[in-house]
Amino acid sequence: MKLTVNTPEGTRDRLFAECQERRQVQQRLTRLFRQRGFLEVSTPETEYYDLFAHSGCAIPQERMLKVWDSSGKICVMRPDSTTPIARIAATKLKTLTLPQRLYYEQTVYRDNPAHNGGSREIAQCGVELIGAVGRKADLELLAGAIDALRSCGASVFHVELGHVDFFRELTARLELEETESLRQLVEGKNFAALHSFLEPYRENPACAVLERLSRLFGGPEVLDEAEKLAGRTLSIDYLRQLYDELSAAGYGAYVRFDLGMVHQIDYYTGVVFRGYVEGAGDAVLSGGRYDNLVGVFGREAQAIGFSVDVDAMARTLPQTQLPKLRTVVHYEPGYLSQALEAVDGAPAGTCELSPCRTLASSLNLAQEKGAQNVLVLDKDGERTVAV
Amino acid sequence: MNSNSRLRIALTKGRLQDRSLELFERLGLDCGPVRAPGRRLVHPLPNYPLDAVLAKAPDVITYVEHGVCDLGIVGKDTILEKGGAFYEVLDLGFGACRFALAVQEGSDFYGSYRTRRIASKYPEFTRAYFEAKGMDVDVIKIEGSVELAPILGLADGIVDIVETGATLKANGLVPIETAARVSARLIVNTASMKLYKEQITDFIEKCQAGLEAAV
Repeated sequence: MKLTVNTPEGTRDRLFAECQERRQVQQRLTRLFRQRGFLEVSTPETEYYDLFAHSGCAIPQERMLKVWDSSGKICVMRPDSTTPIARIAATKLKTLTLPQRLYYEQTVYRDNPAHNGGSREIAQCGVELIGAVGRKADLELLAGAIDALRSCGASVFHVELGHVDFFRELTARLELEETESLRQLVEGKNFAALHSFLEPYRENPACAVLERLSRLFGGPEVLDEAEKLAGRTLSIDYLRQLYDELSAAGYGAYVRFDLGMVHQIDYYTGVVFRGYVEGAGDAVLSGGRYDNLVGVFGREAQAIGFSVDVDAMARTLPQTQLPKLRTVVHYEPGYLSQALEAVDGAPAGTCELSPCRTLASSLNLAQEKGAQNVLVLDKDGERTVAV
Repeated sequence: MNSNSRLRIALTKGRLQDRSLELFERLGLDCGPVRAPGRRLVHPLPNYPLDAVLAKAPDVITYVEHGVCDLGIVGKDTILEKGGAFYEVLDLGFGACRFALAVQEGSDFYGSYRTRRIASKYPEFTRAYFEAKGMDVDVIKIEGSVELAPILGLADGIVDIVETGATLKANGLVPIETAARVSARLIVNTASMKLYKEQITDFIEKCQAGLEAAV
């Protein structure tokens, strides 16, 4: 039988620099998370399908990768990390004092439509602050999100804030029977269709602001505009407070708003945010407050979190250079410790052992690998031969 | 957006391309390089910071979704069929036609309990359309002239783009339902919209003004 040597669609091998670039982003993020008091958790690669299906996870069924366990129960490859962490928070952390700060560095699996070039294995690094509510908790994570992107080395970036209650308050004023079609138009920034959708409600003052909603993104001036159109609302007041405090802490330049950010509106319960970095075609960071999820698993606890798409972030950074091999070590039997000492003393990746028996083959190998010299270790001592 | 801060737009080749260029020219954009492309594939407009590329309709969505083009002009029919994550900001009005369900003249499409079979170039849209009706149908993807399928007895009906209905009529088919109205749309990559807000809203507003002026 001829062996298939390709990887399945949506998966890939990563070599050398690609691994290094991914690892670098992971290390920078996890260093920041640990510094801020977050502790690492890791959850199973496969979980029961029901865990996600019955807890309000926004990943549709068809995008989850299914497997069956030996009892015949349907399991899925983890499509999301927040849900299992909420389960942990409600069960295994039950006796610990809240708040708890948790971080994770793990892959989520989501199936894509065929041939769209997307990966179905998404390496994420993220945090969850469980059991804390209010402005200080939100500020901690928002500042954390900005620091996370900055620590990765992003130069042109911003984190965009929205609030699910703003949309809810406005649609409540319209007394619509269902808000989903309106939500989709706002989320898709479908300016024209939004205009026609709202036509029958023209008389209602909330209409003007709903129509503007998909254009209400940008700097803090959008808060002023929203207030002018909608009057004072708790959600806009709250976003303004967040902005003022973030600005006072020196984060103002990285904060933007998008009041039309209304994705997963049944899942999030307060502030929502996304991070955009120049060079990435979509948000690389995404998060928000989700106060109802942990309670689904039996213990009420408010929570906020975010995650970074590690590979998307890594692709926006300059490519890393791999170290160049300079020296090959040729050593006679009995000189292993000296040879290893030479390798360990050189900068990583610039010096390696030769497995060859004769000096001639070691020289040959050094030449083929582009090394500059061969370090010879034998009974005559130590000498360097140029290639 | 590339390093010298020019936006990039993908235009659907063919009829929508002509209408897009007419719109741009009405806005005062010099489209000379797109009209006389030579061997070049990326066409910088000389008097506006915009580079145009021409692509087949589904590729316009692909380029915009992946962020290699900031903007795109593509038919709603392609958007309905292919889906994707992007902002659909403007209905440009041109390229207007409709998705219709058409059957052979005199046949009673809904009058049978047998599972109907529908031929279409747009299988995803067709599936979603009948799913919304709560009706089970077999969808068959046809690449070429869909009208042939009912004539040959392969399908009970077709779902296709209808402009005048002349092709249907010539083949003994009648449209019995409009499934969706379609026309050209201006779409925007989600990250570009946020990172280059000023340039992009400027362009959107220009287009909108151009459309209103044409009415």
